[in-house]
Amino acid sequence: MKNKIKVYRAMHDLTQEGLANELGVTRQTILAIEKGKYDPSLELAFKIARFFGVAIEEVFTYDNAAGSK
Amino acid sequence: MKRNSFYLLAGIVALIEVGIFWLSVELEKPLLIQVAFVLGILLIYMARKRVEETIEDERTAMITQKAALRTLEVSWVAFFALSLGSAVVAFSRPLGLRPPHPLDPNATHLVMRLTEPDVLPFNLFGRFAVGQLVLLCLVIFLYVGFRVYYARKYGEWDRDEEQD
Repeated sequence: MKNKIKVYRAMHDLTQEGLANELGVTRQTILAIEKGKYDPSLELAFKIARFFGVAIEEVFTYDNAAGSK
Repeated sequence: MKRNSFYLLAGIVALIEVGIFWLSVELEKPLLIQVAFVLGILLIYMARKRVEETIEDERTAMITQKAALRTLEVSWVAFFALSLGSAVVAFSRPLGLRPPHPLDPNATHLVMRLTEPDVLPFNLFGRFAVGQLVLLCLVIFLYVGFRVYYARKYGEWDRDEEQD
């Protein structure tokens, strides 16, 4: 999956650590998601979208090529 | 408790355990290290619950699960192979205790049986214990190896601009 977490973080002036603390996950998880190394669970994806106040599709887009990893 | 304090505590507990193991060997009291080991695990478990920072989330849980599954897959093969070998050694001689009455030493065909008893020697239990420890170490190394592999795969030690 591709995502725009970095963009939304910048818009909300949040560090990875700050976002991680807000969501109750480790900073490494946010970093791994941003870099596309880890696809979050549906629950966490919804949490992230809700935190930024947007629809989940705004933050995450399914990437066919990346999905086969 | 901070995460780093927890890791420090875990390291200290491990060192103490090594010391108690040595003491246990010196005093020939296996119960000492057994109790200390269980208490050490309990202490680490309780300390882990007091860590305020998030040290485990869904990604770390997934890494742990994958590493554990791969470790299980490899280690059961290793365990089974070693156990098969041990079973062959064990069943190649009759099982049971030494006969209560000593055999006639004048009987030439029995001399071999007297010098090499046809029952399992007791020190096999010691070898069994060492074998178990070796296998346990193998499991630990396998788990750590797989955990490092999956942690790298799912971005455990990546750096970004916030750390520079």
